Amino acid sequence: MEKNQKYIFLQALVITFIVFNIGIFMGNKLESSRIDKINQWYLESDLELLDQKIQSDAFGLIDFDCDLLVRENIRFADDIYEQAQIIEEYEKASRINNEIVIQHKRYDLLRTLFWINSIKIKEKCNPDYHNLVYFYKYNEPSLEQKSKQNVISNLLFQLKQEKQDKIMLIPIAADNNLFAINLLIEEYNITELPTVLIDEKIKIVSINELEEIDKYLN
Amino acid sequence: METLPIIYLMYMFVSIYFLSLFLSLFFKNRKDFFDYPKTNKKYSISVLVPAWNEEKTIEGTIRAIFSSGYDLEEVIVLNDGSKDNTKKIVDKLLKEYPKLTILNKENSGKADSLNQGLEMAKGELVAVVDADSYPDKGSFEKMIGFFDDKKVGAVTCVFIPRNDKRFFERLQAIEYNIIAFTRKLLGYVDAIYVTPGPLALYRKFALKKIKGFDKNNLTEDIEATWHLAFEGYKRKMCLATHATTTVPIKFKAWYKQRRRWNIGGLQCISKYKKYFFKKGMLGFFILPFFALQLFLGLLGLSIFVYLVSTRFISNFFYTKYSIELGTSILTMNDLLITPSFLNYLGVILFISGAVFSILVLFIMKSQILVKQNIFNLLFYLLIYLSVYPFIMITALYQFIRGTGTWR
Repeated sequence: MEKNQKYIFLQALVITFIVFNIGIFMGNKLESSRIDKINQWYLESDLELLDQKIQSDAFGLIDFDCDLLVRENIRFADDIYEQAQIIEEYEKASRINNEIVIQHKRYDLLRTLFWINSIKIKEKCNPDYHNLVYFYKYNEPSLEQKSKQNVISNLLFQLKQEKQDKIMLIPIAADNNLFAINLLIEEYNITELPTVLIDEKIKIVSINELEEIDKYLN
Repeated sequence: METLPIIYLMYMFVSIYFLSLFLSLFFKNRKDFFDYPKTNKKYSISVLVPAWNEEKTIEGTIRAIFSSGYDLEEVIVLNDGSKDNTKKIVDKLLKEYPKLTILNKENSGKADSLNQGLEMAKGELVAVVDADSYPDKGSFEKMIGFFDDKKVGAVTCVFIPRNDKRFFERLQAIEYNIIAFTRKLLGYVDAIYVTPGPLALYRKFALKKIKGFDKNNLTEDIEATWHLAFEGYKRKMCLATHATTTVPIKFKAWYKQRRRWNIGGLQCISKYKKYFFKKGMLGFFILPFFALQLFLGLLGLSIFVYLVSTRFISNFFYTKYSIELGTSILTMNDLLITPSFLNYLGVILFISGAVFSILVLFIMKSQILVKQNIFNLLFYLLIYLSVYPFIMITALYQFIRGTGTWR
């Protein structure tokens, strides 16, 4: 090999390191920007939920407009459901940054808190909507389980489109080992995943039962 | 980070490395890229033409050799027990070309035929020309100058398909152009790993030193090149000239040819494995390069099979449950894909590969006029190259079982 050519291997390695690291840096930037976006939503949602929680907790102390409270609750439910879908997409596309998994857990807790608040509002205002909580397996579901969950998600999404304000759709990852969620799972005796819980009373586990979900919502 | 993204990143790293290496080599040497050393020395050249059932092409090959414009010492056709009219055609040409001779022998394979020819050869240099290849005018003249450097053991040149009318031939033309280009670049770092059969010029002394061609290897040209590298001989690439060669026009024949090349490569890895990271460029580049190609090809294929099978199983269950529930099999949400940064990197890398290929074709166009269009190039990059891992796996299977054959 000519003497002046032998450094070319090293030169190519240096170029590769530079290009590769630029790629990783840009990738990290992309994923961080998505996490920043989620953070922003979370802060806004957290604030809004806190506002609602105060309203529902203060019910009885102050004279509240139940219709307004229910309307706001439904709007908020729609917002966090949409955000959940986007987070899921971002999560699928996340390759370097694992922070999104933490965000997912935070959102699960937020949705759980929202669910509890919804139960309270239902008790106080007796509104005309159903709480539909969807417990699913988040960590390493089998291929069959994942496919089943995807189909159920689609069904619930279609149902939501159809029923609009009549249902409050709350998806919650049930296996993230979060104490509050574990307590609720125990309380409602959720033993299989996925499970759809309607109005804290009816549990649907099998696909066949889901076919008749409509009858529980009328 | 999960395992698959790490593997993808590893592929990207390797791809960027070789792209950088080739581009660096090109820009460093672009001024004398197509040059060749001129010489006043008159080398005597014996041309060996191994032939087995080559009645369709042998006459054209012999005429092309004698029309090359170089005063050759001799042209020896090594008739390896042909059952067709090869002998008859050569016999007819003997009258026309006094320097032409024929050695009729029992079928014993190409390497053995070449070794017998090597024993007969009188020239200082020995050229090997496949019986379906056609050296261009001035080929030998342009290649001999490299031998003024006593360390040069072999010189090869550009090969292009004889015809470029068919789509499949055009794809191979792209491949041959890229191979020629990269071979030239590897020549600058003494890393040429094959001086192929269509036209290779060897220093006879060097060939004798390595005891000729290995009869047990399916690609005697790859093995001889590695052996020359092992003995410290340089291998050079001359871009200033070319030979045309007959390429397979049917997929099956092409697949068999490429499988044979792969088995030959595996035989070489096996033979020289103890020289990994020893013995200069053979151990530090050629062997790791071949092993890396094999590893990445097999790993890529395994990942492909894994992804396809998991996708198939998922789709099966998804469809099953969708039918049971009466929901849509495909929703708008399924069509919305949020790209990961790996997708972006993959696209950038693919575009870089395509640009590199276009650059190669553009640079080579001044020497070789092969009509191409963007569809051919895309097909080459997306489909043609993706067949290689499948060839590799069948080659590996046959290599392990020891069932690989020449034909």
